[in-house]
Amino acid sequence: MEDAFPAFVLHSEAIRPPMNEAPRYPEADGSQTAESDEELMAAFSRGAADAFTVLFLRYKQPLFGFFRRRVADPAQAEELTQETFVAVLRASSRYQQTALFRTWLYAIGFKILRAHRRKAAFRATFLGEKPLGSEPAVDEAIEAQTMMRQAVGRLDSLDREVLLLREFEQLSYAEIAELLGLPLNTVRSRLFRARLALHDLLSAPASHSSAHQFAQSKERV
Amino acid sequence: MNAATHPVAPEEVMAFLDGELTSAEAQAVSSHLDQCAECAGLAAQLRSTSQSLSGWTVPAVPASLEETVLAEAAEAADKLKQEKPGRTTQLSLWNWRLWAVAGGGALTVVLIGVALVASIIYPGNLAKSRPMEMAVQKPAAPDYFYTPARAQNQQTAVMKGNFSAAGAGVAQLGSLATPPPPPPVAGKTAGGLMYGYSAQPGAVTAPMIARTVSLTIAVKDFAAVRASLDSILVRHRGYAAQLSAATAENAPRTLQASLRIPAPELAAALAELKGLGRVESETQAGDEVTQQHTDLAARIQNSRETEERMRAILEQRTGKIEDVLQVEEEIARVRGEIESMEADQQALEHRVDFASVDLQIAEEYKAALNPPSASVSNRIHNAFVGGLRSAAEMLLGCVLFVEESGPVLLIWLAILGMPIFLLWRRYRSVMARF
Repeated sequence: MEDAFPAFVLHSEAIRPPMNEAPRYPEADGSQTAESDEELMAAFSRGAADAFTVLFLRYKQPLFGFFRRRVADPAQAEELTQETFVAVLRASSRYQQTALFRTWLYAIGFKILRAHRRKAAFRATFLGEKPLGSEPAVDEAIEAQTMMRQAVGRLDSLDREVLLLREFEQLSYAEIAELLGLPLNTVRSRLFRARLALHDLLSAPASHSSAHQFAQSKERV
Repeated sequence: MNAATHPVAPEEVMAFLDGELTSAEAQAVSSHLDQCAECAGLAAQLRSTSQSLSGWTVPAVPASLEETVLAEAAEAADKLKQEKPGRTTQLSLWNWRLWAVAGGGALTVVLIGVALVASIIYPGNLAKSRPMEMAVQKPAAPDYFYTPARAQNQQTAVMKGNFSAAGAGVAQLGSLATPPPPPPVAGKTAGGLMYGYSAQPGAVTAPMIARTVSLTIAVKDFAAVRASLDSILVRHRGYAAQLSAATAENAPRTLQASLRIPAPELAAALAELKGLGRVESETQAGDEVTQQHTDLAARIQNSRETEERMRAILEQRTGKIEDVLQVEEEIARVRGEIESMEADQQALEHRVDFASVDLQIAEEYKAALNPPSASVSNRIHNAFVGGLRSAAEMLLGCVLFVEESGPVLLIWLAILGMPIFLLWRRYRSVMARF
């Protein structure tokens, strides 16, 4: 699945300007090392603290972004990021090299995020606390960004999750399927639906619905 | 849009853009995009959506996070480093403990083995005391007479829990003091005079002791024991005041009896009873009733004298008819008292003459594989019918329960369930917002 035409790939550098998040195997802070995430994790489980530092530098920003886009409170996003790294440290002895470190890391992050959401929902339901929802914070936002965030927030929760995992965490369809426990085809159809819905939401509200149009076309194919 | 004009699905266009297709599939989609403006438009739309998302930037991670996590990492790495030698230490420690436990166990086994072998090789050490015990259990001579010295001996023996030894010694003392008279005839004797006490006040020469013995014996051959018990009773002129035997199925047979043995025969009878099997428990007690007996005798004597005097008054003096009647009534009352006291006296003497032995005999039970009482087919049939009946009863019980408690349960369910349902719905709606 990796041998696609790079010219048409959505995330090629030509289309997408470099973001804060590094791509698939990010080399953060210019640390040029040939070691894979999995090798670094194995080295850390043997007691090499430096290996984890490299891993942390690679993934601190993507993981922070992961939480920052899903949690309204920036302080909570930071807290959850820290919690995830600490969980990785504690679970390092159980890490199996057969699994991709990235998938494993996001799986842990996802569990922590779900636990956080459950707690927040519980507090909102039973203790009457006002839930902050999944609307990201708009402290430094430009208006266009705000609109986009609001549009993302209006997507179906699962569709949104698939979209964010693909667009920002840059996980493959298979990785998303594994992470969310969904069939591969469902991931694909939900991603497609989410992208079209987002396009519609970002376009003028009166414009025609792409999602509807393509849904109809799909039925005929 | 149809399959003829669009050989690729819109989702495939997206997958192509995401780099999720194989080379062949990508080739097909790529060539279609070149030809189809509609699909190229979709691709452009998808790209623009992704591009618009790329504007969603996130500020840099706070430096405090880095410090905290890296400090934790250093700590964790240290622990991981230490764990390796630790593991081997733990392993060797575990081994050391295992060896200690195994060594202790082996030593215990060896010691037990040595003890067993020693007991087999030198059985004399263990059995030395047994012949003596058996010897003292043998009945020597009947102890007919109770002397204060013998009573004292007996009490000491009771305290020591070895009554038969004392009994033997007492018998010897008794035989030295006076020659043993002929054994008493079974049943009532003349006011207990033969046993060394007298109904006359002031004539009591020896303490009167009512003895009770409780004996529990385990036997191997239960049937033989029953016959032996009867013969022991005949031989020692005793009788069973009460006897009950239980022979339950798949359980040890038991016999419970309350025996009355002539006091002089007690030691011999006990020795024989003990010979029936293994004595599990034995208690003996002696209740001294001398004072009670003496009191009764004196009171009887007094009453008799009163009766005599009244009879004399009745015979010698004359008076009114009322007075005569009054004296006769008085004589009748005194006579009744005398008879009552004499009965008590006799009962007391009987308790002294005949020792009471509470005997419990239990069989040393061996479980046996009994052949099934019913045939296999019958048992299967019975089990099947029983199962069906149980199932029907259970179903009926469920129906009855629902009928009886259903309405109340429904009300409670509504009362408790509705708030829970509302809270659950609210929880779900909050969760859906994330």
